[in-house]
Amino acid sequence: NTTTLTTPQSEVDLLMHEMADEAGLDLNMELPQGQTGSVVGASVASTEQDELSQRLARLRDQV
Amino acid sequence: KPEDRSCKEHDDISEQIRNHHKQAFEYISVALKIDEDDKGPKEQAVQWYKKGIAELEKGIAIEVTGNGEKADKSRRLQDKMKTNLLMSKDRLDLLVTGAVPKKRET
Repeated sequence: NTTTLTTPQSEVDLLMHEMADEAGLDLNMELPQGQTGSVVGASVASTEQDELSQRLARLRDQV
Repeated sequence: KPEDRSCKEHDDISEQIRNHHKQAFEYISVALKIDEDDKGPKEQAVQWYKKGIAELEKGIAIEVTGNGEKADKSRRLQDKMKTNLLMSKDRLDLLVTGAVPKKRET
């Protein structure tokens, strides 16, 4: 597949990070312990806030 | 080392924000569980929404300074909390004024 071969590694990395971010994962395994916890914690928190938004929106749109 | 210090400070700040988030998430989850049930006691949902809103406000009031991935994440979390603050307040207003549409025909 030529598309894959010509896509710069930096773009692939960026995309991977965006996807991981959306999924609440943390790809950056080189972070020291303790920092990793806080970054993952922030992603979990973010996901939980999204969940609240979805449920609130559902109630709002319910007629 | 100044860098370590700001990093440590930010850890504290992000932890405070996450604590308020966590509390707000628990309260609003309870409110939603009651509210999503047609027969749920809405006056109880009102109380839980109020508690959740207070926690969201505390978390949003914390000032996040500096840049970097962690500060950005904290700010993004605060943005989401702001969205939920507005949505919770709107829902609370509806419940308090009794303007919640009833599904059943009377």
